Amino acid sequence: MPAKLKWGVLDAIVVVFALVPVLWIVSLSFKTTATLTDGNFIPREWTLDNYRTIFQTDQFVRALINSIGIALISTFIAVVLGTMAAYAISRLDFPGKGLLVGVSLLIAMFPQVSLVSPLFDIERRTGLFDTWPGLILPYITFALPLAIYTLSAFFKQIPWDLEKAAKMDGATQGEAFRKVIAPLAAPGVFTTAILVFIFCWNDFLFAISLTSTEQSRTVPVALSFFTGASQFEDPTGAISAAAVVITIPIIIFVLFFQKRIVAGLTSGAVKG
Amino acid sequence: MSISSTTPGSAAAGEQTVEETRPGTARTGHRRRKAPLSEGKKQERKLGWLLCAPAALVMVAVTAYPILYSFWLSLQRYDLKFPDERQFVWFENYVTVLTNGYWWTAFGVTMLITVVSVVVELVLGMGLALIMHRTLVGRGLVRTSALIPYGIVTVVAAFSWRYAWTPGTGYLANLVTPEGAPLTERASALAIIILAEIWKTTPFMALLLMAGLALVPDDLLKAASMDGAGWWQRFTKVMLPVMKPAILVALLFRTLDALRVFDNIYVLTAGANETSSVSMIAYNNLIRGLNLGIGSTMSVLIFVTVAIIAFVFVKLFGTAAPGSADEGRR
Amino acid sequence: MAHSDRPPHRRTTRSRLLAAGAAIALLAPLAACGSDDEGGTPTLNLYQFPVQDMQTVIDTCNQAAAGRYRIVYQVLPRAADDQRVQMVRRLAAEDDSMDILGLDVTWTQEFASANWIREFTGADKSEVENGTLAGPLASATYNDKLYAAPNNTNVQLLWYRKDLVPTPPRTWDEMIEASLRLKGEGKPYQVLTMGAQYEGLVVLFNNLVASAGGTVVSEDGKTAVMDAGTVKALEVMKRFATAGVTNASFTNSIEDDVRLAFQNGGGAFQLNWPYVYSALQSDAPELAPNVTWARYPSIDPGTPSRVTIGGSNLAVSRYSRHPAEAFDAVKCLRNAANQKFLAIKAGQPPTIESVYADPEMAQAYPMKQEILDELKDAAPRPLTPAYQNVSTVVAAQLSPPSAIDPQRTAAELKTSIQEAIDSKGVLP
Repeated sequence: MPAKLKWGVLDAIVVVFALVPVLWIVSLSFKTTATLTDGNFIPREWTLDNYRTIFQTDQFVRALINSIGIALISTFIAVVLGTMAAYAISRLDFPGKGLLVGVSLLIAMFPQVSLVSPLFDIERRTGLFDTWPGLILPYITFALPLAIYTLSAFFKQIPWDLEKAAKMDGATQGEAFRKVIAPLAAPGVFTTAILVFIFCWNDFLFAISLTSTEQSRTVPVALSFFTGASQFEDPTGAISAAAVVITIPIIIFVLFFQKRIVAGLTSGAVKG
Repeated sequence: MSISSTTPGSAAAGEQTVEETRPGTARTGHRRRKAPLSEGKKQERKLGWLLCAPAALVMVAVTAYPILYSFWLSLQRYDLKFPDERQFVWFENYVTVLTNGYWWTAFGVTMLITVVSVVVELVLGMGLALIMHRTLVGRGLVRTSALIPYGIVTVVAAFSWRYAWTPGTGYLANLVTPEGAPLTERASALAIIILAEIWKTTPFMALLLMAGLALVPDDLLKAASMDGAGWWQRFTKVMLPVMKPAILVALLFRTLDALRVFDNIYVLTAGANETSSVSMIAYNNLIRGLNLGIGSTMSVLIFVTVAIIAFVFVKLFGTAAPGSADEGRR
Repeated sequence: MAHSDRPPHRRTTRSRLLAAGAAIALLAPLAACGSDDEGGTPTLNLYQFPVQDMQTVIDTCNQAAAGRYRIVYQVLPRAADDQRVQMVRRLAAEDDSMDILGLDVTWTQEFASANWIREFTGADKSEVENGTLAGPLASATYNDKLYAAPNNTNVQLLWYRKDLVPTPPRTWDEMIEASLRLKGEGKPYQVLTMGAQYEGLVVLFNNLVASAGGTVVSEDGKTAVMDAGTVKALEVMKRFATAGVTNASFTNSIEDDVRLAFQNGGGAFQLNWPYVYSALQSDAPELAPNVTWARYPSIDPGTPSRVTIGGSNLAVSRYSRHPAEAFDAVKCLRNAANQKFLAIKAGQPPTIESVYADPEMAQAYPMKQEILDELKDAAPRPLTPAYQNVSTVVAAQLSPPSAIDPQRTAAELKTSIQEAIDSKGVLP
């Protein structure tokens, strides 16, 4: 079938461009230190040493747990707060709306490198330094602008009168919201969730500045603590192995959510 | 339902106008400023504030002091290494930075990287969004694999690019330029940096655009094709206008991030050959040089630049696109 | 439209939020930054880059302390810049949870000037100075006061393929000529060293300047000098970069890139730190027997080369709550026995001269004589608190080395370095 073939080819192109550099990282993770820089895409000598090294101490596992916990909590709270704010911004009229939108954009725009030291100071004084909330709060803060904007953009497209129509058809407020509005809000919510999660998961600047022990150190920071055989040698193999391992939760998260992004248009409710 | 204005916050105003034309509503939109607030209006405002309060509170509590402190520091001559020489100098720092060649070179490089990567990403992202949305085979595979580049830790990806482009150690350098080292020449280094940026963040654009695509009602498209509209016409006249809010968000945030590019440059060239971005020299002055005054000044200047661009974007997208199909969408 | 009845799920979300907020408020006081004292034994937090087997040294010192204090190893990130940022941020915030700091030699002056580390006085000072090599000691001094205890040191050597070059070149000119000769014969010929725009380039420049007898910055660290010796150094640097003996990635190479390129067989000469020796044994065992070392090439045939000192010092934080114990701990951590242990286990050349004479050093450090010789003559990098500034501007102006115009670059450097020292202007 020519249409399927056409799409198949396009798919293949996308997958190749997206994944070839990733496969390069995977290949680096399987190389021995001797063959690390021989320039071959496929390793000549395969080894699982790099993967074994990163799991040797529980440092990396601890960092994984921290990352998963902090990212999930931050994503959840940011999406909830963002949904509430976006709902208000896109449906309601109240003074200060423009101010909120403007201020949240302002916050997203300020270079974070300058904010880190004062934030460190505050957190040290309030005892939040090197704790989960100490990272969760900044993550929520810097994810909210994107969340609010994205969700507002999608909420505006929702035909809210459908809620009224559903109620006139006999549904309760809750049912109307759940069966009619929520599916239409889903694309925006899940898109936001994916983007916020990836932001929290991969952030390095805040994580390295606001943590100091394994208590709350996240994975990107743990990578910078990996050591090579000496001060000048980068443990590239171990870092690549760790990078592969930490991409897996992202893949799972995205696989889970990507279907729901498009599942919003259910039958019957939307009539243009 | 009006799609005329795409900035968040202006929608309610649009909805007000819609409501006016519907029979049976009790609201008198034009004169709402003069008439006393109705009970319903008051409820709406309260609800609005309540819903926004948590988000606003968190954002302000975390960033108010740091941002204000940065502004305040930029007005001082303050080097941590020489604490006794700290003094208030008003806008002298700004003059120093704005008359400095290093700043403007970095500014130019940043602008170049931003413009090129955002434009390319918009086009590629739209294409990718279409594929991710409409493909008939391997949907899950394409969507997930397309998002993986965005999900990889930036520094690791940058390192892998560095290895790939270094002759002798990587496959790309050997393939493309067997003789020279592309990372050591300014033009090719910049090209590699832009390529790394595009590879990494096109999925971001594509994801937002795909979600926007998901909102385009199929019936409208069917109606348009039955009316004889070709694929391109359907794309530009039906899909794009509906996607405008999504495009704005994608462009706005991607541009904001592109202007603050740091990691890729830091790992690939460390700013050699005048490939530094403004974030890099701000970092050098603030953290390496421990010059809080100049570093904060640069941060404020970056902020102002980004704010101007954001303002321009919002204004551009705020007006209704002329001749679009939304007039018929009531 | 009435909105008086809110959708039910928002109410539960808000209460969930309140619960989370309460939890945060309750948990916050329980957060600890760094270890706290338990019972009566003061805890000393040592903030240092990762070193293999460091814990053994710490355990030894804890035992020797017999309850007077307990050292806890707080590891810092692998990259030097990251380590510095971590420490600077906390010192600027007057954090009292740091006691002992592992500082790179180039940070000591800066930290001393910023009033972040304590001076070594009296018995502490004489104990540290006794037996320590002069070069590392200079890097720990500021305004004639001792601010840190030299821990380990490092100098670069010339590594070469003895199957290609039976006798090592003595000077840069000889090395370049030997390389060109090999090039003509079609054999591996390259001279590999670090040339990226970073600290390593400044080290190369400093090596050349010191070998040429020039001065970059005055003794008191306040004035940029840039005399004839520096012009000569720039001439050598330019000749080296344009002679056709460097590899294509020279201007983007850092230490490990150079090591790997040499191991891959592309080069005949390598100018790098001694860590490459053990890496070579394990990574490229067939090549290893053909590689040997010599003193870093000089500029003048008659004058031996002078090279830059690397390494680290141990200092006591100004904000430490137990300074007396910290000084004792420092003296223990870097004493001769521990330096020998780390020299053999972690590959860190010691700063106490007597350790070199120890017979056990011979196997791990077959090159120890060359290292010691170089250390006796070694040159520190410009001793000024604004060293990071100086390093940044020098690296920027010397990059790429092929674009150097000796007289003009020297004049430009003089102005930029002076601005950097005075903390005026903008860093690139």
